[in-house]
Amino acid sequence: MSEITFRIYRFEAGKDASPRYDEYKLALEEGDTLLKCLNTIRGAQDGTLAYRMSCGSAICGSCAMRANGHALLACKTQAAGLVKNGVIQLDPLGNFPVIRDLVVDLEPFWSSLRKVSPWLQPNLADEPARERLQTPAQFQLIDDVTTCILCASCWSDCNVLEVDKKFLGPATLAKAHRFIFDTRDAKGRERMEKITEPNGLWDCTHCGECSTRCPTETKPLARIEETREAVMMAGITNSPGARHALGFRESMRWFGALNENYLPVRSVGFFNIPGLLGIMPVGLRMMLKRKAPPMFPHWIDKVGEVKRIFKRFHELRKNVGGAGTKTDGDD
Amino acid sequence: MALQYAFFTGCVAKGAGRELLTSTNLVCKKLGIELFEMEDAACCGAGVGGEDNVMVSDTVNARTFALAEERGMDIMNICVTCQGVHKKAQARLAKEPGYMARVNDVLKSETGREYKGQAKVRHFAKILIEDYGLDKLKALVVKPLGELKAAAFYGCYSVRPHEYSDLKNPDDPDEMERILEAIGAKTVNYPGRLKCCGFPIIMMNKQNSLTLSGSVIRSAKESGADCLVTQCPLCHLNMDAYQPEIDETLRMPVVHIQQLIGLALGYTAEQMGMNTHIISASGALASI
Amino acid sequence: MLSHDVVIVGSGLAGLRAALEVVGHLDVAVITKVYPSRSHSGAAQGGVAAAMANVDGDSTNAHIYDTVKGADFIGDQDAIEIMCNDAPHVIVDMERLGCPFSRTSENKIAQRAFGGHSFKRSCYSADRTGHALLHTLFEQSMKKGGKLQFYNEFYLLRLIVEENICRGVVAMDMKTGKPEVFHAKSVMFGTGGYGRAYKISSNAYANTGDGISAAYRAGVPLQDMEFVQFHPTGLYQHGLLLSEAARGEGGYILNGNNERFMANYAPSKLELAPRDIVSRSEQTEIMAGRGAGPKKDYVLLDLRHLGKEKILERLPQIYQIAKDFIGVDALDNPVPIQPTAHYSMGGIPADNDCQVVANERGDLVKGFFAAGECSCISVHGANRLGTNSLLEALVFGTRAGKKMREVTLDAKWAPVNESREISAARREIDEVLHNKGTENLAAIREELQTTMTDKVGVYRGKDDMEAAHEKIRELQDRFRNVKVDNKKGVFNTNLTEALELGHMLEYSELIVAGAQTREESRGAHARNDFPDRDDGNWMKHTMAFRTGEGGYELKYRPVRVTRFQPEERKY
Repeated sequence: MSEITFRIYRFEAGKDASPRYDEYKLALEEGDTLLKCLNTIRGAQDGTLAYRMSCGSAICGSCAMRANGHALLACKTQAAGLVKNGVIQLDPLGNFPVIRDLVVDLEPFWSSLRKVSPWLQPNLADEPARERLQTPAQFQLIDDVTTCILCASCWSDCNVLEVDKKFLGPATLAKAHRFIFDTRDAKGRERMEKITEPNGLWDCTHCGECSTRCPTETKPLARIEETREAVMMAGITNSPGARHALGFRESMRWFGALNENYLPVRSVGFFNIPGLLGIMPVGLRMMLKRKAPPMFPHWIDKVGEVKRIFKRFHELRKNVGGAGTKTDGDD
Repeated sequence: MALQYAFFTGCVAKGAGRELLTSTNLVCKKLGIELFEMEDAACCGAGVGGEDNVMVSDTVNARTFALAEERGMDIMNICVTCQGVHKKAQARLAKEPGYMARVNDVLKSETGREYKGQAKVRHFAKILIEDYGLDKLKALVVKPLGELKAAAFYGCYSVRPHEYSDLKNPDDPDEMERILEAIGAKTVNYPGRLKCCGFPIIMMNKQNSLTLSGSVIRSAKESGADCLVTQCPLCHLNMDAYQPEIDETLRMPVVHIQQLIGLALGYTAEQMGMNTHIISASGALASI
Repeated sequence: MLSHDVVIVGSGLAGLRAALEVVGHLDVAVITKVYPSRSHSGAAQGGVAAAMANVDGDSTNAHIYDTVKGADFIGDQDAIEIMCNDAPHVIVDMERLGCPFSRTSENKIAQRAFGGHSFKRSCYSADRTGHALLHTLFEQSMKKGGKLQFYNEFYLLRLIVEENICRGVVAMDMKTGKPEVFHAKSVMFGTGGYGRAYKISSNAYANTGDGISAAYRAGVPLQDMEFVQFHPTGLYQHGLLLSEAARGEGGYILNGNNERFMANYAPSKLELAPRDIVSRSEQTEIMAGRGAGPKKDYVLLDLRHLGKEKILERLPQIYQIAKDFIGVDALDNPVPIQPTAHYSMGGIPADNDCQVVANERGDLVKGFFAAGECSCISVHGANRLGTNSLLEALVFGTRAGKKMREVTLDAKWAPVNESREISAARREIDEVLHNKGTENLAAIREELQTTMTDKVGVYRGKDDMEAAHEKIRELQDRFRNVKVDNKKGVFNTNLTEALELGHMLEYSELIVAGAQTREESRGAHARNDFPDRDDGNWMKHTMAFRTGEGGYELKYRPVRVTRFQPEERKY
């Protein structure tokens, strides 16, 4: 097959003032994985190139890096699919300090993980003699999330982490989910309260990078969505994010549509005076441009149907304690 | 026969972003695309309305799809958030027949309707490219946008997660650029093109939200763009209405893609509602 | 100089399990050349064996017998009894620590069939059991906070043993390139196997057997190195593992004529015969011209009849690997496979409490422990049964931890000469950094691995092995002038790769030497010229001792037989 160019980020902490890109030419063979190409380059062209690798079978997460700007595992990615105008550009994972070339300092990732007490905290009082029982459906609740290999691909491409290093981050939120949804864990409520503090669960923008880059079934965004649902169901609603969701739901329920005058006030909190003052400038600006939402809310036609749907679920929830599809084992 | 769609306007186009609704209606009129506004369809939930119970919002959205099926049409969205949420709901319903049946049970008993899984949901831009055709659009252009350097901003829900994206190559899409080039504009490639605008957390963490939109705007500006072009009114809100709070000096106009198409088709800036933006686009438009 | 009561090298299942046993009682540190969650235990897929009898009438006795027979009667039976007896306890223990297990309809831990086991004995977490266990232990070690100190991405350079007393290790911080002496009262190795010496291998790139070789260089003998397991379902050309669970769930193996040829080799167990037998059968089919593909050099794993639901639910990882790595959709097509170097039965000899053995008489190296794949206790003998490796790591990791607790509490500090150890380590580094630099590192490694796969693989011939031995000698010689481009700086993977290659060249010779000398066929060791097992002469463990620069000497040690006398091995 054709010869292509690898354009690879080079940098050594403590020695180089700024990074550079080195180029390597390589004839691609059919079936070559990205990791195989890197090994060929390091073996035959430049032994100084640094990157991590271990298992070679997509289970250890060591070889996570960015190709053409997006995080992936080099071992499981076919190189041919990455070639763009004859070039593959490789960079270290984003949102981390670089140690050398494609090797980053993962410490921020590990220390975030430790913040959510990522170990099972069962109720020791009713420990059976043999294994604890769990239904297959209950195992299913944590089946996807426990495929996480801690490769940090999600971390690399997370948009929120780019602007705020205090954000718990996708893998950490997925790890929290793993225990919140484990029926053997007794600290679900504490865990939910912990992650709904500022810089946690409600700071995710749904940008979807994490789930897109995730090489496993963990798909952090999906887990974040499930966790938000669980948190709301547990009545942990004293945060702007939860109030926002509740307000949104109420607006949908009563108007069939979003009431843009009501929602910001509801999200910020009715009695949060500084917060309310904070949303005034944008309102004023919009009013001046005749852009502000109409004073009288818009009702959709046949809004009664929507109300009835909401009412039905409200009753269902009262009766069974949960109407969600993925929370069957969580009550 | 003319193209016909059940038109899901979304809430923002009925509220703070009415210029989007006006411009879409006028553009489609000129193109000969017939829109049937779904006055009876409920808010998609924006991924937020269902945050405490996904099944409720899936049921409300299934009702919307059923309404379109009753009209015998596919749905046209003009907001990528609505589009993404609809797409996700359809995927969840299609994946598990049992789930679909439970949703339909509620839907039938409470509204007498049923979602059969037939109505497709598509965004305006996709319809323009695939159903209408950019050659036909090009032929109708009376005022090519000439020197305007437009920075397309895709919006998260249109590109990620990939499994719900309608774009051919969501990591490197060209759909918006192709439309912009068809109406004679120049396009710029810039690092923020596929990033998050920050809107979903504007109420929870304003600082992060505006840092996100700020970095998109800066990145477009540094790449020499005259204006940012959105296909989602929420991205538009966060980058236009909040822009003075991010940085007074940015002065980067943000426009809906329908507005630029309208200008190229011969409508006036006023007809396209350009005057309603917080950041005036008149400077950028002077280059046309 | 850093100092900890207990230093554990390796953060896989054995190392972490041992550390958790010691922490809180003693000051313990874990050194790993990767990160704990990236240890190769995580790659184990199909399950962990224990006679839980959750789905059938299994018993510990049956587990013991199956393991003794699977090992081709060269396993030490007292150790096997311990492992099988402890098995249900360690599983319950892991479940309590939070390991997610797949469940039966009665909500117990699910169990499935595996090669060589006569009951459904494998407890599993879909097809990522090792990953689930490893992450559970990693979670538990995070729970210990600062009490359990990790030295991540530290590369082991030397084991310090003097006067038969282990005193610590020297390891290099990869982030700085600086060698550090770790002074310890007890050292445990859980450093994994040596399967990377082979070209077609399911092993991690990290599995270069550094620990085994470091022990050897410090004067510890190595046992049964010739027994290398070849797994029958390696992905063609990649060697990547497709779990035995594929066969446990009912997958077929076909030759190029679409025949389920295992009927000719193991008529009752078919595909579920032990790994050595299935691998040999595959190789025989290929050599007889009945392979599949244009070169007729592979066979096929056929899952299609299992149906979409079963494949995606029970074997998702296998499905994904076939798809990502060679673009085969296992729902529609059989997957090309070939035998792949998988597991090292040999390693550092240790007693039932994981205390390392110094010689053929069974004397101990004081303060030195080994558990998991790097050790040879020997519970696997000449052939390991699938799902017994995770079990071994858990059982003996726990035992090593307990024993260390017991002996270390009262132990005294044996002195270490720090500057001498550092300069010895520096000298070893300098030898690879500063030489004529005329030999390409990757080329030597490639030649070694190809030689091992081609000539010391599933079948072993006299001439092939002689050629392999000669080749390894030549490569050892060339290695003295290996070229390392990167002379200094942080995260010098060029240097660590060279050091790893040095280790591989050293112990690979022992694999060949053991295989050349063992004139019989037993378990994974199959000689063309000696096709039968020879209990009269070879019912014994090989022990290789280092004799000065480059030399070695082979001695032998008896097998411990308790209940089961050797018998013909039929499936």
